[in-house]
Amino acid sequence: MSHIETISSFVKGAPPGELADVVADIKALTASEPNVVDELAPAFEKYNEEQFITLKLPGSSQPVLISPHNSLGGGRYYDVESSSSFEVDHLSQKASAVQSYVLEGAQTDLVKSTLKSLGTYVKEHFPNAALGAYPVESDSKVAIVIVANKYSPNNFWNGRWRSVYTFDPSSGNLEGQIMVDVHYYEDGNVRLLTNKAVSASIPSGTGAGIVKEIASTEKKYQEDLNKSFVSLSEGAFKGLRRQLPVTRQKIEWERVTGYRLGQDIGGGSSKR
Amino acid sequence: MAADPFDSALDLLRRLNPKHTSEHLNAIISLAPDLTEDLLSSVDQPLTVKRCKQTGRDYLLCDYNRDGDSYRSPWSNQFDPPLDEGGVGGVGPGGSEGAGEGAIPNERVRKMEVKANEAFDIYRELYYEGGVSSVYLWNLDDGFAGVVLVKKAATPGTNTEGVWDSIHVFEAIERGRTTHYKLTSTVILSLSTNVEGTVGDMDLSGNMTRQVEQDLPVENDDSHIANVGRLVEDMELKMRNLLQDVYFGKAKDVVGDLRSVGSLSEGARERETQRELIGSMKR
Repeated sequence: MSHIETISSFVKGAPPGELADVVADIKALTASEPNVVDELAPAFEKYNEEQFITLKLPGSSQPVLISPHNSLGGGRYYDVESSSSFEVDHLSQKASAVQSYVLEGAQTDLVKSTLKSLGTYVKEHFPNAALGAYPVESDSKVAIVIVANKYSPNNFWNGRWRSVYTFDPSSGNLEGQIMVDVHYYEDGNVRLLTNKAVSASIPSGTGAGIVKEIASTEKKYQEDLNKSFVSLSEGAFKGLRRQLPVTRQKIEWERVTGYRLGQDIGGGSSKR
Repeated sequence: MAADPFDSALDLLRRLNPKHTSEHLNAIISLAPDLTEDLLSSVDQPLTVKRCKQTGRDYLLCDYNRDGDSYRSPWSNQFDPPLDEGGVGGVGPGGSEGAGEGAIPNERVRKMEVKANEAFDIYRELYYEGGVSSVYLWNLDDGFAGVVLVKKAATPGTNTEGVWDSIHVFEAIERGRTTHYKLTSTVILSLSTNVEGTVGDMDLSGNMTRQVEQDLPVENDDSHIANVGRLVEDMELKMRNLLQDVYFGKAKDVVGDLRSVGSLSEGARERETQRELIGSMKR
């Protein structure tokens, strides 16, 4: 692996809300090559688009997201709701040079009706999220993106929920992916990473129909995920190490050195 | 002022996916070769298992029983592959240079090492009901030091995997009838499940480290094994509870903070109604 590839892999692996910390570490580790960060521009762009980074447009309080689906090329992206396009500095994650951008084409009506229903749904279930819907694949399909972040660096944890779907109006098929990323790092480093592929058929083909399906899919996914926490805790975790020996007593260490396995070692009254 | 590269390397390892710490560690070393020794001795990685050629028993590999590419078995006290001529470890007869250079403990400490391995083998069987354990000790000028290792892997379901690595490094500074123990414990725990149709891919991996220091009375060398045993046992119980809280409590709570299963506006209305109810009861 080349130098830049190695460092780019660190950028790609940055946990939610911690890109700036990772970049600071990279700088300290490559102090002899002060220009290394400039060479990481493609890695930052890829990270920001894959992670659906949110930013605020100058003079607006609504967050907008960036993704491969709303890229106009040359570092510019567009937002349907505010009918604007903007330039993104991928290192600072700041938007500038806002211009008017009016969506046109065959999928415009479906994009707008989807956005309307999606806005209502997201508000009901995500305390802090950004969303988008965009025509993709030569205006033949609609991409839908939701990203929710919660950062609590003072308490050493950060989290991100991402979901992305593509709706094909000609077949009525909806395909997508839900991904959760949680990082906890107080005296340690613990990471939850999930990835779930989903697909559904939406005969109505309406924006409301699409969002209804997304809502029920995401509800079921979150319930399955919650069940999985329980089954991992009750299954794999318990199977690795017991809380106490079968005797329910701590070991009598003074006696252990004199006793061999299979004998009376697990505490005072070990009736097995 | 520029940040210290060593601290930055540790910070980076605390942020990148803990499932791939070894790969990240190698990548950082390729960027900053000067840090190799320091990083290898302070970053805990998942343990590897090797079979002792002399006894047929499994033992665990770490920096503390390594000399070059050879590792010492705690069961036979032999290095595999054998060290070159004149290589009774890289340390002189005093053996007080610490581990990692093929240090083998002196006769007294090796005796304790043999007993400690037997004791922790029992401990492992009682708490882990499987897995592999190894204890390595080495001499210090004013006492001795050691590492207690346990590894256990489990595949309870066809789609579920779990691996637990315990790494307890301790120092025992002997001061007459009492000894000062300093214990640094790391548990590396990796859990994953893949169930198509329901949850898809789910990976919960990480490591946590805790330290404790304590003065304990010592009558003879067996007391050391009992003291270290108790310290490790208490620490593992504490860490198991901590891991349970973080892996299955905290992580799940954060997901719930990102997305609410129930409707947020209904939740807000219910809280408002509750507040009014409590308010009216107070009046």
